[in-house]
Amino acid sequence: MTQTTSSKWLEFLAGCRDEAPLQLGVVPFGMLYSIGALAAGMPAWLVQLSSALVFAGSAQLAIAQMLAASAGALPIALTAGLLNLRHVLYSASVADYVRHLPRRWRLLLAYLLTDEAYAVAILRYQRDDAARAAAGDDGGPPPRPNLRHWYFFGCGFTLWACWQLSTAAGLLFGARIPLEWDIDFAVPLTFLALLTLLIRESASQAAALAAAIGALLFAGLPHNLGLVAAILLGLVVGFTSAKGRRATP
Amino acid sequence: MSTARLILLLAAVGAITYLFRYSMIGIFANRNLPVWLRDLCRYIAPASFAALTASALFVQGGQVVAALDAPKPWAALVAVMVAWRTGNVFATIGVGMASLYLLKLVL
Repeated sequence: MTQTTSSKWLEFLAGCRDEAPLQLGVVPFGMLYSIGALAAGMPAWLVQLSSALVFAGSAQLAIAQMLAASAGALPIALTAGLLNLRHVLYSASVADYVRHLPRRWRLLLAYLLTDEAYAVAILRYQRDDAARAAAGDDGGPPPRPNLRHWYFFGCGFTLWACWQLSTAAGLLFGARIPLEWDIDFAVPLTFLALLTLLIRESASQAAALAAAIGALLFAGLPHNLGLVAAILLGLVVGFTSAKGRRATP
Repeated sequence: MSTARLILLLAAVGAITYLFRYSMIGIFANRNLPVWLRDLCRYIAPASFAALTASALFVQGGQVVAALDAPKPWAALVAVMVAWRTGNVFATIGVGMASLYLLKLVL
């Protein structure tokens, strides 16, 4: 019993540790949101509350920008929804890994399924898969005790806590950060760092390249549909490139 | 927009976002993902982060903006090299920010 309890905490802490460096990009992101939302006329308490309610950086930034431009509620909700559509894909991607968990765990982990937490958790799951495949395992249920959901929880919790704190920090100090510091640049840098970790094999590289080109090609699509279209293009290219290589060994 | 309306809007966006995040976990709670979907899933992470990175770097308000004398893409390139060599997120963001500051002095 004590053995499993301490292993749970070790998994949780490992998740926190692996998620921590990404907070370099998350903190400016959260602060930028606060600055933007305040400027758009949102009351401070609601800015803070929205970070828990929505808990999605890019959608929150879009909401703040559109409020500032006095857009209507429906276009704002649509844009934010479409920006978050990629989370359906993340959900599919982790479904196999969380199926065995009790419902309350699945409900909790779904809430924490953000870009940065997803990326770190999925890297862990896929690395485990690769290690087991290399060991000649057929991909049946993983050996027990399986505590990887505690790792996922550690990633998600770290990000969640940091998102709430950085929202608060933005409310308190945001106005004092000079524009010349370009703290917004830390956001694409975080995505870049994650991306390079995720593309160690050629089909993933093809998927990433296609999605990046797609993001530019489809940039003009209305309602931020371009991002989703680009991701779908990347999926198809990655899939076919893996198929093609399997067909011609 | 009134505060009450704003609260409703944020709650609605939060609910939609949560439904998206739970959707596939819920649908595939008792059965396996079809093989084709599981194969596609392998590319979700790379494709998503590539698209997010490209649009963060080169898209502004629905328009592609790219200039050779803009410091950010070059700083991003330096960051990519650091990421590729070290695999270290901390170093990538640190060197990327430092490169941006240096390039802004030069360009």
